[in-house]
Amino acid sequence: MTLNEDERIRLHLEEIEKIEIELFLEALIRFYGYDFRNYAFPFLKRRIKHRVQQEHLTSISALQEKVLRDSETMKRLLTDFSINVTEMFRDPSFFNSIRTKVIPIVKNFSEIKIWHVGCSSGEEAYSMAILLYEEGIYEKCRIFATDLNNDILEKAKNATFALDVMQLYTKNYLEAGGKRSFSEYYKAVDEKVIFHSFLRKNIVFAQHNLVTDQSFNEFDIIICRNVFIYFNRNLQNQVHKLLYDSLSLSGFIGLGKREGMKFTNYGNCYREIDASDKLYQKIK
Amino acid sequence: MKFKTKLYMSIGFLWLFILIIAVILLNMLEQTTVKMNEVVNDLNERIEMAAVMKNETSQIGLELGLMASDRNDEIHINAEDDWEDSQMKLQKAMESLEQRDKTEKAQELIATYRTLYQTYQNLGDEALAAKNRNKQVEFPASYWKNAEINRQRMIQIADLLCVLEKQTLKNELFRTKDTYNWAVTMIYVYLAIALLIGVGFTFWIIRSLTINLNKVTSVMKQATTSDFESMPRINLSAKGELGEIAAAFNKMADALEKHSFREKDLKEAAEAESWLNGKIAEIATIYPEVESVQELADLFITNLVPMAGASSGIFYLKELEEGEHYFKKISSYAVLNDSDNHRRYRFGESLVGQCALEKRPIILNDVPADYFKIGSGMGASLPKNIIILPVKGVDEVLAVIEIASLETYNPLQLKLFEAAVDNIGIKINQILNHIKVEKLLQESQTLTEELQVQSEELQLQQEELRTTNEKLEEQYDTLKHKNEEIEKVRGALEEKAQQLEISSQYKSEFLANMSHELRTPLNSLLILAKILSDNMDGNLTSKQEEYIRTIYSSGKDLLHLITDVLDLAKVESGTLDINCKEIELNDVLEYIRKQFSPLAEQKQIQFSIEMDDRLPDIFYTDDLRLQQILKNLLSNAFKFTEAGSVFLKIEKVIKEIYENHSTEKTQFKPMLSFSVVDTGIGIDQDKLKVIFEAFQQADGTTSRKYGGTGLGLSISREIAHSLDGFIEVSSVKGKGSSFTLYVPLESESHNGKYLAMEEAAISLYDTPNTKIEPISEPAMPNLKDKKILIVDDDIRNLYALTVALEMYEMEIIVAENGREGITVLQENPDTDLILMDIMMPEMDGFDAMRQIRRMPEFFEKPIIALTAKAMKRSREECLEAGATDYISKPINIEQLLSLMQVWLYRKEN
Repeated sequence: MTLNEDERIRLHLEEIEKIEIELFLEALIRFYGYDFRNYAFPFLKRRIKHRVQQEHLTSISALQEKVLRDSETMKRLLTDFSINVTEMFRDPSFFNSIRTKVIPIVKNFSEIKIWHVGCSSGEEAYSMAILLYEEGIYEKCRIFATDLNNDILEKAKNATFALDVMQLYTKNYLEAGGKRSFSEYYKAVDEKVIFHSFLRKNIVFAQHNLVTDQSFNEFDIIICRNVFIYFNRNLQNQVHKLLYDSLSLSGFIGLGKREGMKFTNYGNCYREIDASDKLYQKIK
Repeated sequence: MKFKTKLYMSIGFLWLFILIIAVILLNMLEQTTVKMNEVVNDLNERIEMAAVMKNETSQIGLELGLMASDRNDEIHINAEDDWEDSQMKLQKAMESLEQRDKTEKAQELIATYRTLYQTYQNLGDEALAAKNRNKQVEFPASYWKNAEINRQRMIQIADLLCVLEKQTLKNELFRTKDTYNWAVTMIYVYLAIALLIGVGFTFWIIRSLTINLNKVTSVMKQATTSDFESMPRINLSAKGELGEIAAAFNKMADALEKHSFREKDLKEAAEAESWLNGKIAEIATIYPEVESVQELADLFITNLVPMAGASSGIFYLKELEEGEHYFKKISSYAVLNDSDNHRRYRFGESLVGQCALEKRPIILNDVPADYFKIGSGMGASLPKNIIILPVKGVDEVLAVIEIASLETYNPLQLKLFEAAVDNIGIKINQILNHIKVEKLLQESQTLTEELQVQSEELQLQQEELRTTNEKLEEQYDTLKHKNEEIEKVRGALEEKAQQLEISSQYKSEFLANMSHELRTPLNSLLILAKILSDNMDGNLTSKQEEYIRTIYSSGKDLLHLITDVLDLAKVESGTLDINCKEIELNDVLEYIRKQFSPLAEQKQIQFSIEMDDRLPDIFYTDDLRLQQILKNLLSNAFKFTEAGSVFLKIEKVIKEIYENHSTEKTQFKPMLSFSVVDTGIGIDQDKLKVIFEAFQQADGTTSRKYGGTGLGLSISREIAHSLDGFIEVSSVKGKGSSFTLYVPLESESHNGKYLAMEEAAISLYDTPNTKIEPISEPAMPNLKDKKILIVDDDIRNLYALTVALEMYEMEIIVAENGREGITVLQENPDTDLILMDIMMPEMDGFDAMRQIRRMPEFFEKPIIALTAKAMKRSREECLEAGATDYISKPINIEQLLSLMQVWLYRKEN
């Protein structure tokens, strides 16, 4: 009996929480113009609750009030929503696949346009630059690295990463089939390493909102890793449409390790190049 | 009759017939031969007898003569015997001839002969008798003559007989020949007859055999051309093999007929089956690609109904709504008034529900008139038959199908329905399962993605936590450090205070008093002068205003002087207050800029502030004291510069510090340097030391020209010391001076007492080769005190690397080949990093790395391979051998240092 009662209360609270979150998201659109409604709900819930906790508040409604009145809190919330977990040569085999399966095909293009969607602090964009440099085609490549978060883009532009992650990055680089010595690309300063500026040369960092912004070019390669996981099915399909429209025919698209093309509306428009590395080629 | 028997009989009969003929012929031949022999023998005997008669007749003449001639000799005596003998012979021959030859002529001759013979015998007997009476008797000639004539006749007759007999023989031989000819003729005749009979018989036999055989054959021939349903029969009364064959054939025909009937049945059944299968297959082909039940239902019902020759159909699918199963109409074919009233049924509700409940088909035969109509544009009619079929999944009804027809369903149609329904059940199940699997897969995909999100969030949180942790730790360390410092400072202060108390009591008191005494009136003086200079009432002339401003500025100078004196005293007595805190460099510089820009403009001197771009925004010092020193230095610079430029340059440097006056023990520290460089009058080398002494100026005369107390530099020096820094100077007379203030970048203990060695400071202009090498790079704390093992066989490389790395305070140990490298490493297990050349004698880098990796204690030790020009193969081999990273020769020191920092980085726990 009490158990049922507890359960009922729990459900009730959950219901309230859900409404609060929905209202909160609505408020964010109305006031700040950010639309997070189609983000994965559990993710939003955790992040919002995290912010509630960090702000020492008691409810999501309270957070709503604070966010609406204090743009600094909004900034912090945005930071919460942007999970900037990335590595250089993250999932090395992915980069190896790019090197062995994609580069040979695009090598002879007169110009290669690459879009890194959700580039975060730029690690993967720089990884791609290194890879292209080693394949001798960096000069004719343009890497468009976009993210929703402007601050993180500023960070990305500095090409400066903490020293402590470099051991991992070096291992990744080697596993991804790096052809030179990784140390050729950076210089250690204090507790940081700065990557050489020539890598930055053909990378354009720009803000782009996948939810509201349109396609801005046609690309030969699109890298969109661990972006879809934050979206719900609707938004996933919407973004897939955007990426599909932005990808040239026979262009390549790479997704995150745990993402897939199969259940999307565009599943049959792509051919699997590498199943485990989630590398696809647009075929229609 | 049996065929065998017949054959045996016919051939046996032929053989017997031939035998009989042979016997007859042989017999005939023998008879002929015997008779001929008899005849010939008989005739020969008769010829012989006739011959004997002739001979004896001749004989008796002689003998009679002899007997008649009486002579006593032997011949005569014998004559009588001979006579007798001949008489007997004659008699005998005559008699046997008589007996044998019964022919009339012969009998006649013989009778004649006999008569003659008897006559002759009588004559002889007379003669003999005469003789016996008279031996010498002479017989008349007549007698003889008679006798002779008689005998002659006898001979004639005998001769005749002989001829006769010979003739008879001849005749007989002719007759025998005839007989032989006849016999031959007879043989021919016989053979001809036998041949005829044999041929006839053979024909008969063959005919009697072939007739039946032909009969059988022709029937059999007929059988092959006819179908196997009505086979001809062989009507054969004959027994035996053919009869059996016929019987067997008839049996076979029976069997064949039966078989073909059965076959026909089976064939019909098979045709029906194949039609059914064909239809089922056709149905099956319509849905392999189908992925939704709706699509399947549409396809199924629109295909099945026309295929089965039915007219109308509905497909109901089981659906779960509000916890209850319904059979909902999802597709139909040619259904009239397709209204909503029969859209869904529960289990047991209506025939549809009932069918689902019972899990078996329901057939309606006599559909009532108002039940349901099948219609087209032209009209509508009642269906004759309606079948309702359940579509079964594994053990439940998944759907129900209702099909109506204008005709009665035949069993084949029913079968088709059942089979089709069976098939579709499987497919529906498959689709439902597929949908379920798809859903599950999607869910799992969502979950996987969620997992990734969580893992990333977690990673982020971990990162945040770690950062927070590090910050906290840092703060804790700083706090601890500060506490210690405070403790030390406190101790030092106490000590100083005591000393001061003892040694400088009077001085302090005096100074304090004096400064107070001096400052109080001076302050009021200044305030009043200020008020006056404002000329509120406007009753002062410009001249007066000028005076008052001079009073004010002089007073201010005086106040500064007093403050300076006080400061100097305080510094010297150790009572100067230093309040270190986090300050923003920009604030300090802004202040300086504000202070001196107007002055520079006024003096038309170029003034600039240059900043190294790696400067920290914030550092730890006493801002007021720092400002004081900078102000002093800059004031001096401006003071002694008539034309040209003054600039302040701020840099981050590593400075060698001599600790506690010992030249041995030095320390490198990161410091901020503030260099004030001017193009002023400069200072003589020998004056460089003097200028820091209180109340001293380089040139006694300068004071006159430039003014000033000469306290500025000494105070600055002292304050710099208080800030754990120092001031260096270098100058070339007439060209300009450079004063550089060094303050530590990090707060140091007050107790440290690092002494700047002005003596050691080398002029920027004079001697560029300095011992204290300003390092343009920031410090590399990660590298300091790290133990590095370099394994290389090239002494020059070893030397170059050692020198380069020792500059960064690393401890270097070396080995000249792999083997030695391992030994050295084992002796120095605290080695932090190994630089390993590849091409070496004795043991190359690959082997050395492999061996090192085999030692558990060095399993994770960073080994940097030094490869000759990055070749892919050697690169891969390096990694395989256990290298952590590699760098290609020729080695770029900066790259190597960066790389070493990466691999020597250790997170403090």
